[in-house]
Amino acid sequence: MLTGDIVEAAKFIGAGLAMIGAAGAGVGIGLTVLGALQGMSRNPDYYGTILVNMILGIAFSEAIAIYCLVIAFLMMFVL
Amino acid sequence: MEAKKKWRWGVNRWWVLLFIVLNVIFALIFKPVSPHIQVAPEKLGQEPLFSLPVIGDFYLTNTMVAFFITMIILLAMAFAVKRILSKSTLEPRGIAGALEMLVEALYNMTESSAGKWAGTIFPWFGSIVLVVLIANWMGLIPGVDSIGILEHSTEGHPIITLVPEKVFAIVAGEAAKGEGYNVTPFVRPVSTDLNFTLALALISVIMTQVIGFRAQGIRYLTKFFNVTNIFKKPFFGFMDFLVGFLELISELAKILSFTFRLFGNIFAGMVLLFVMTSLIPYFVPSMLMMFEFFIGLIQAVVFGLLTMVFMSMALHGHGEHES
Repeated sequence: MLTGDIVEAAKFIGAGLAMIGAAGAGVGIGLTVLGALQGMSRNPDYYGTILVNMILGIAFSEAIAIYCLVIAFLMMFVL
Repeated sequence: MEAKKKWRWGVNRWWVLLFIVLNVIFALIFKPVSPHIQVAPEKLGQEPLFSLPVIGDFYLTNTMVAFFITMIILLAMAFAVKRILSKSTLEPRGIAGALEMLVEALYNMTESSAGKWAGTIFPWFGSIVLVVLIANWMGLIPGVDSIGILEHSTEGHPIITLVPEKVFAIVAGEAAKGEGYNVTPFVRPVSTDLNFTLALALISVIMTQVIGFRAQGIRYLTKFFNVTNIFKKPFFGFMDFLVGFLELISELAKILSFTFRLFGNIFAGMVLLFVMTSLIPYFVPSMLMMFEFFIGLIQAVVFGLLTMVFMSMALHGHGEHES
């Protein structure tokens, strides 16, 4: 029903709109690192523990951005 | 003891300069072309390897080749470590020393989380980290994702012949109608295959449940179907029951989360490398490869670390918190 050009354009528009959700991940990672840096500066002895937990927290938050990326890829390359 | 050769600054900078010059020369001769990107891995042969009656055909895909190479690298490392350790155990040299450092760091992390079950949980943690690490880093080796079979395609590119009848190279530009070619790489990093990441995620989550049952017996099921308090404290007991149901959904969400975290990171890195190399072939791909190196390491450690943390959490029940 729709011609090829409109479908191509819709794919790119959809992929672009899907990536708006990554803004939340950016804010989340920023807050995580904020808390980690404050903790590290107050207790320099616990640098190792806080670093490992910070990396874990960043991975959780980044996964949400990756879900948005997967939807964008789905629109561009699969459907 | 003989005197060690003094290490001088600046010996390797000539190699770096040589590679930069080679990069610029080759990027000017063969302008890089963005290959055809698809989520599903590409088949390498036309005939399936074998067919199962209900499930269907199994083809040899380029991610399977990468997986076999990963396994061969791991086995070679294991044999090398065995040979190094059989000679002297005081201070292992070379790759055995590096692996010992890695294993010690991971084991300390496991022991701080799991306590006495560290011996059961650590093999899963370490194996997942090593396999995913080598699988992620395979995308940075030259030749992976670029050398492959030419295939006719509608939106292809023209080719030039380097060695007659054997080696061709794709050049930039529009091809004549019906004459365009695209490359199907021989090797594609296995973490970009959803089958691999889904299989690892299923292994991780199912083994978490198994370890939970081994540690707590049948009382592990009260994590999900929490009927212990339903008749004692009427309202909060029902809330506990709903929370238990939410835990069940959270387990399924963990499978999806593991799968798409690893797949998305490595696939996005691959797409980024393809697109940026075709846009600016000079310095930007090197910086992106350094970023990919870091991301591959972080994603491997995070996959294993999350597996270890979920297994440690499955060891203890709900109401055993010490105040």
